[in-house]
Amino acid sequence: MSPDDTGKLVRGAADGDEVAWRGLVARFSNLVWAVARAHRLGNADAADVYQTTWLRLAEHIGRIEQPDRVGAWLATAARRECLQSLRMSAKSSPTDDMDRLDITPAVGNPTEEAVLAAETEREDAARAAAMWRAFERLSGRCRELLRILMASPPPSYAEVAAALELPLGSIGPTRARCLQRLREEMAGIRDGLSPSS
Amino acid sequence: MYEPDDELEAELRRLAADREPVPAELVQAAVDAFGWRDIDAELAELVYDSLVDADEASLVRGPPGQRLVSFAVGGLTIDVEVTSAGAGRTVMGQIAPPQRASVDIRYPRDTVTVEVDELGRFRSGPLPPGPASLRLRPLAGGAGPDIVTDWISL
Repeated sequence: MSPDDTGKLVRGAADGDEVAWRGLVARFSNLVWAVARAHRLGNADAADVYQTTWLRLAEHIGRIEQPDRVGAWLATAARRECLQSLRMSAKSSPTDDMDRLDITPAVGNPTEEAVLAAETEREDAARAAAMWRAFERLSGRCRELLRILMASPPPSYAEVAAALELPLGSIGPTRARCLQRLREEMAGIRDGLSPSS
Repeated sequence: MYEPDDELEAELRRLAADREPVPAELVQAAVDAFGWRDIDAELAELVYDSLVDADEASLVRGPPGQRLVSFAVGGLTIDVEVTSAGAGRTVMGQIAPPQRASVDIRYPRDTVTVEVDELGRFRSGPLPPGPASLRLRPLAGGAGPDIVTDWISL
């Protein structure tokens, strides 16, 4: 979707058009979630960040200064909520009150059944499992950046920069470096060199 | 041109969609958020949050489980102290300048209304954690429109 379309959705929603609002949710839902995930919040806290960010946008929808950049606005708002949430957890002893949100935690591996099916599928699943393990093993900075880039549809670099408060110019080089790290981790897992493989 | 980095990134994207999808209830909550707009009210924006704006040192020194948040619009400020005890939250507020009003404490599943006293103070009972916003409703005879605050996560 082009920035023009995004701006149109923002202006439509500001005029009360619920279809336009749904369009914004469809476009940026995954990005907001990726910001919460990148900051490694628990399920309940990630859910709060996600929900608060959307409620805040709804209240601000008529005052967004650059409607075509609403993705960066959302990323910034979500980032702020994440920092708040992390500081709150650091300050008080966290309570695992996931039940109140009726959120089913992401459990299991959807590809496990596939592993039992055909050989090709087994290889695909093994690669996916190795890739996920490699991703989880990356350093904080790389993990954060890649998790934002993994949002769907792909975020713009401006949105990535807003989500992590990084200079726009650093995104491309850091991305290249982190993807290389990921390849190395995957190779390590594949060759069985890694202690936990 | 073949771009191995783009390829790998796309593979990661599919993996994230598979392993960490946005829970459907949350997507619905984002859609429903639109219904919480209050277009007739003025918006008091979040201008201070001790969790984000205070320096690390004073954060560490401050009492545990306590957070200060301020909202402002025009000449009006709403200062709120949020206290956490386990999974419960309590809100104590001060409106300046003081005015008689009702305060709706709104959160996605419910709304609780409390009264503001003559000194501009109000306090809630225990609230659930999660997103919340205040709507200040001047009592009959009071001046001005309703005021809603930015949403924060209690």
